[in-house]
Amino acid sequence: MQKIYIVEDDPALADLLEKTIQKYDYETKTAVHFQDIMEEFETFQPHLVLLDINLPSFDGFYWCRQMRQMSTCPIIFISARVGEMDQIMALENGGDDFITKPFHPEIVLAKIRSQLRRAYGEYSPQLKERTVEESGLVLYPERLELHFKEQVQILSKNEAYIVEMLLDRYPRVAGREDLLETIWDEFAFVDDNTLNVNVTRVRKQLQRLGIQDAIETVRGVGYRLHVTW
Amino acid sequence: MPLKQCAELATGCMLPGKERVELKLFLRNYLLLVFVQAFQFCLVVLVFWLAGFRDISLVFYSLFLFGFTFLLYTVYQYIRHRAFYKRLSQPFTTLEEVYEVKADTPVYHALSRLLKSSQALYQKDIAIQSKKQEEQLVFMDLWVHQMKTPLSVIDLTARDLDEPYSSDIREETERLKNGLNTVLYMARLRSIQQDFNVKTIDLKTFIQQVNQENKRFFIRNRVYPKVEMEEETIQVETDEKWLLFMVTQLVHNAVKYSKDQSDYFYMRVYRSNQRVALSIQDFGVGIPSSDLKRIFDAFYTGENGRTFKESTGVGLYVTKEVAAYLGHDIQVESTVGQGTTFTLYF
Repeated sequence: MQKIYIVEDDPALADLLEKTIQKYDYETKTAVHFQDIMEEFETFQPHLVLLDINLPSFDGFYWCRQMRQMSTCPIIFISARVGEMDQIMALENGGDDFITKPFHPEIVLAKIRSQLRRAYGEYSPQLKERTVEESGLVLYPERLELHFKEQVQILSKNEAYIVEMLLDRYPRVAGREDLLETIWDEFAFVDDNTLNVNVTRVRKQLQRLGIQDAIETVRGVGYRLHVTW
Repeated sequence: MPLKQCAELATGCMLPGKERVELKLFLRNYLLLVFVQAFQFCLVVLVFWLAGFRDISLVFYSLFLFGFTFLLYTVYQYIRHRAFYKRLSQPFTTLEEVYEVKADTPVYHALSRLLKSSQALYQKDIAIQSKKQEEQLVFMDLWVHQMKTPLSVIDLTARDLDEPYSSDIREETERLKNGLNTVLYMARLRSIQQDFNVKTIDLKTFIQQVNQENKRFFIRNRVYPKVEMEEETIQVETDEKWLLFMVTQLVHNAVKYSKDQSDYFYMRVYRSNQRVALSIQDFGVGIPSSDLKRIFDAFYTGENGRTFKESTGVGLYVTKEVAAYLGHDIQVESTVGQGTTFTLYF
């Protein structure tokens, strides 16, 4: 399992970041002693570091330079500052990428994945294929495959996004806004109807796997998955 | 009589209008002295008259002597103090002018010292004020950035909640985020000279970025953008960060005022008279013509602002100022009930 070290002095945010990242099968550790980040860094030996810029004793730039003296692991800066100067500073001090607050967790995860892939290779043995599962229904998001009782259905990208979100949110409602946001294709025109069409397709895909009435429409709010199989 | 002579002298010289201002001031200042001199002369003549020296030609002769010496004195005084009166009758145009004064008479010297001391006091006051303002800007900048961490925490926490609470809270965090951004840009506007960086920008990529960032906003309000490009690649020279701010403002307005009226708005890029234009056309409520002239004024919210709440009258003001600074033109056309088109010319 790949290890991610989170250096963020706001405990609530550090905690949330940790939870979000852990959901995707990474081992995490949050910094505790801000006077001695390097010691924690050496003992934990992370594959990737998420680093805040404004920290109690020394700033993130300082720690980044220190880490660079002993490791080439990817370092992603997280900061409230949006100025170009801070981004330049981050990269010049040895950072690999930059995320500004408030951020989307998907963006954090996407950047983590891309940095890890670049640093350790696509087929690195440490990189296990991601799966999302609920009661025997398994989605392989990267392969766009939905597995159920030895059967496999190939999904379209949008269908996979919807299934992933429904499984992810189970047993809660997956919000209409979240669903539409994930299937938003930046090149095409999207509207309310796009979601209806895609959910109908997902229902058909599930029917092909022998699953009936698993997706409930919650009017004006979104869709909810039920384990009817 | 001496007064009359002086006045005649003045008109006789026919000084240019500008210089006569100081002469008038000088004469006004001398008026009382002239009357006192005349009165004294009459008094002396009266005393001699009553004492029996009743020679009218003697009176005229002494009047001539008296008047002549007084006139000489007056002219001498005027020439000596001319610079002083000139300074008195002309207002300062810059704060620094006070230090350029070259005083040559005691009164003038005293005046210039006085002016300089008052100037020093003002300078001190201005220095204190601008330092305070600077501090306030720094504080505001710091504070806005500090608020982003709790905002991230609320946003991330809300994601784990049930619907519709999750989306509802995130709508509010989004509004907070936009509000904070406006504060930041409003504060930065004052120092825009040090805060811009002109680059070549591809408008297609740029519009995609704008729409990507605002997709949740479109989805929530059920108003979606339709992009039309006259050519596949159209590039402009501008500052990306400020352009993003401006276009985001215009897009937000388009969505806000079309909600429940129309479910799309246009973003068009085309060439017009050798300039590149980016227009944002909505089919919403429109702007009353009485408000149209003032929508770019600071803190002006107009009729729509009162109906729709949540307008601060800052967004369009900053947009206009930035556009002017970057050398872009911004134009607006609107019909109530039919919609509004904002066009940005690069």
